[in-house]
Amino acid sequence: MTRSDDEEVDVPDPWTPLTRPRSSRRPSPPPTRRQVLRAAGLGIAGLGALGATAACGTPGTAPAAGAPLPAASPGEVVRLQYWAWLKDLQKVCDVWNAKNPSVQVEAVWIPGGNSGGYQKIFSALAAGSGPDLAQIEVRTLPSYLLQNGLADLSAYGFGDVIGSYDEGLASQVRLDGRLWGVPQDSGPIGFFYRTESLEAVGAQPPSTWEEWLEVARAIHGNDAGHWIDSFNAGDPTTFISIATQAGATWFKPEGEEWVIDMTDDATAAVATLFDTALDEGLLNTALPPFSVGWFAAAGSGAIASLVSGSWADALIEGTTGGEGQWRVAPVPTWASDPSLTKAVGSSYLGGSTAAITSTCAHPREALAFATWMTTDPEGIDAMIQYSGIGWSPASDYIGKARQQPSEFFSGQSYNTEVFQPAAQQQRTDWTWSPVTLQAINIVADAFRARLTGGYRTCLDALAAAQPQVVAAHRDKGLAVRAAS
Amino acid sequence: MAPFLLLFALTFVAPVLYAVGQSFTRVTREGLFGQAGASSGFAGFENYARALSDGGFAASVGRVLLFGVVQVTVMIVAATVLALLLESASARWPGFFRTAYFLPYGIPGVIATILWSFLYVPGISPVLGLLAAVGIDLDPLAPSTVLWSIANIVTWAYTGYNMLIIVAQLKSIPKELYEAARVDGAGPLRIARSLQLPLVRPALVLATVFSIIGTLQLFAEPQVLQAVSPAISNDYTPNLAAYNSAFNYNDYGVASAQAVLIALAAFVLSAVFLGLTNRGRR
Repeated sequence: MTRSDDEEVDVPDPWTPLTRPRSSRRPSPPPTRRQVLRAAGLGIAGLGALGATAACGTPGTAPAAGAPLPAASPGEVVRLQYWAWLKDLQKVCDVWNAKNPSVQVEAVWIPGGNSGGYQKIFSALAAGSGPDLAQIEVRTLPSYLLQNGLADLSAYGFGDVIGSYDEGLASQVRLDGRLWGVPQDSGPIGFFYRTESLEAVGAQPPSTWEEWLEVARAIHGNDAGHWIDSFNAGDPTTFISIATQAGATWFKPEGEEWVIDMTDDATAAVATLFDTALDEGLLNTALPPFSVGWFAAAGSGAIASLVSGSWADALIEGTTGGEGQWRVAPVPTWASDPSLTKAVGSSYLGGSTAAITSTCAHPREALAFATWMTTDPEGIDAMIQYSGIGWSPASDYIGKARQQPSEFFSGQSYNTEVFQPAAQQQRTDWTWSPVTLQAINIVADAFRARLTGGYRTCLDALAAAQPQVVAAHRDKGLAVRAAS
Repeated sequence: MAPFLLLFALTFVAPVLYAVGQSFTRVTREGLFGQAGASSGFAGFENYARALSDGGFAASVGRVLLFGVVQVTVMIVAATVLALLLESASARWPGFFRTAYFLPYGIPGVIATILWSFLYVPGISPVLGLLAAVGIDLDPLAPSTVLWSIANIVTWAYTGYNMLIIVAQLKSIPKELYEAARVDGAGPLRIARSLQLPLVRPALVLATVFSIIGTLQLFAEPQVLQAVSPAISNDYTPNLAAYNSAFNYNDYGVASAQAVLIALAAFVLSAVFLGLTNRGRR
C-alpha cells in the first residue's frame, strides 16, 4: 500500500495559511502563450517516448532468435545463471564447476513455481534479461514456449541424447516436433499406505481402482473417523494424473488447432470413481495432502493411504512416528474396465525441466551442463543428495541412494520395486497446453463448487469448466475448439 | 522546467500511455504454441469487457471497497484523536510519542507483513496461543477474517503517518484563536469541536483521499500473506489480479485494462469524495 506523493489531487494543502478563500475552486487565469507551447511540447515528448516503448510491442510477441548461437571461443570463461527453487543447488553446480573451469554455473534461488518464481522469470524474459537456465515444470513448459522464452534444444543436438531419458517424460518436452527443455525430475505415481490401516480391515493393497473403492468402504465402515485418502479440490493435479493414467487427453493438438476434451470416457470413469467415494464420505475433504492437519491424520492412522508421485516419500518420512509403518505399492490400475483401451500402468504427478531460455547467450554450454546434471551418475547422485529431486529422469540410472532398501518404508526397496517399473509405464501422448495454469485453476474452482453443492458430480463440474478452458485458449490468441 | 518535463514525459507520461495502448491490444498467434508468429492488433474494449466480466476481479473491487469503508474510517478517526491528544495543552512528551506513532510507517510494508504473519500463524503466534489458553479460538488467516487481518496491518502502518499530517495542520493554527476561544469560556472539548476540527479539515481531506487511493492499490500485504493463508486467491485485490494477469498468465492486455480500471476507480472515488466535502462548505 503506497501513499505516493505524486498523485495529482486537487486538495487544499494543509500548510497554506488559513486566510485563503474558502472555496477550493480558484479561478485560474487563461494560459499564456508560453504555457500552451510547453504543453504541446510535453505532448510531443510523451508521444516520442511512447513510440520508443511501443516498438517493444506486447511482451512475448517478438520473434524468437533465428540461427543457432555458436559455442564460446576457446579460453573464454562462460558464466551461467540457473534460477531454480531446488535446495542447495549450488552444491550440485560446484561439483560441475570444479571439473569445468571454462563453464561456471551459479545457482540463484527463486520461490517455487507459481508462488513467485515464474512471475520473476516471465518478467525478466519480457524485459529481455532472463537467466540462462530456469527450472520450469513440465506442465508449464508450453506457457514459456508461447512467450518465446525458450531456446530450441533440437538446434543444439539435444535430439542425440534424448533417448537416455524416460520415454514418457521425453515426450512431454517435445512440443511441435522439437525439444524445449532438459527433463530434470518427475514423479511417477504410486500407492503409499500404512500397513496397519490395511491389516485392520484385512485388505491387500488394491491392484485396481474397483478394489480401491472396496478397501475405502472397508476402512471407513470400520471407523467413520478413518478415510483411505484425502480429496483436495483446490489442487486437481492428482485427479488429472489419474485421468491421464485412464487414457484421457484433455489437450489435443490437431494441426494448428487445440482440441479440448475434458469429459471423455476415461475422465468420466475417474470422475465416477471419485463421485462414488465422495458421496459415500470415503474421502477426507478437509485435509489436503501435506498440510499440517494431514500429517497429524496420517500419523494417527485417520488417513490410511495416499496416491502421489514418488517424491512424496520424503514428505511421508516427516510423519511423526511413521518409521516402519508405511509401504509403497503400485498405483491401482484400470484393468477392471476393458473399455478404457488407452489406460496405462502409472502416470506422472509433477516433474520439472531445466529449460534453457531464449535470452541465454551460451545455449550449448548450458545444455552441456544440464545434460550432465540429469544423465551423468555423478550429477544425478548430487541432485538426489543435495537437492532431494523427485524421480531422476535418466532411464538407466535411478541414483545410488535409491537402490537400497528403505528403513522408514519397512525395509522395502520400494524405488526399484515400484517406481522403476512405474516410470516405464507412462503415456507418451499426453501434451500440456500453453494455458495449463488457467485450466488447472478453472477446474479447481469447479471442484470446490462440486464439494459445496454447486455441481452434483465431478463430471458436471468438468463439463462446466470445459467452455471456460476453451475461452482461456481463445483469449490467448490460439485456435481452439471443444471436442464435444 | 524543460529537463523536468522531459523526465516527467519519459518516466511518467510514456508508461501511462503505453499501458493505455496495451489495454486496447489483442494478440493473435499462429500455430499451437505461437511458433509461427504472433501479431498484435486493436482489440477495442474487449480487454475491458473481459476484466469486468471476470467474477474474481469484480469481487476483488467489492472487497477493497468494503475494506476501504471500514479501514479508512477507523484509521482517520484514530489519527485525528491521536493528533488532538498530542497537541492538547496537557500532553506530556509530545515529541517522543509523535515519533513512536510514526515509526511503523518507516518499516517497509513487506517486512511489516512478514512480522505480522508470525503473529497470525496458529502454532507460532504467542498471541493466538494466549487467546487459546483462555478459550478464544481465533484464526486470523481464515477466509472470513483475513481481510481484517490485512486491515489491521495497514492501520498499524499508516495511522501515525496520517496523524502527522493532521498535527502539521494543527500547528499552523494561530495562537490568537485559542486565546479568543478561552476568553469566550471554551473548554478543551469545545475547542477541539468548534476550532481545531474545522481548521484541520483540509488535512483530513488530504489524508482520506490518499488513503482511498492506497486502499485500491492494496498489494504487498495480501501478496506476502498469501504464503500463509490459503484464503487469499490470485485475484484477492484488484492490483494482485492485475499482477497475476501480467506475470502469471502473461495476459498483458487484460492486465493493462485492469490497471487502467483501478486508476479510473481511484480517480472517480477521490473526485466523489472531494465533491462531497466541498459541497458542504459552500
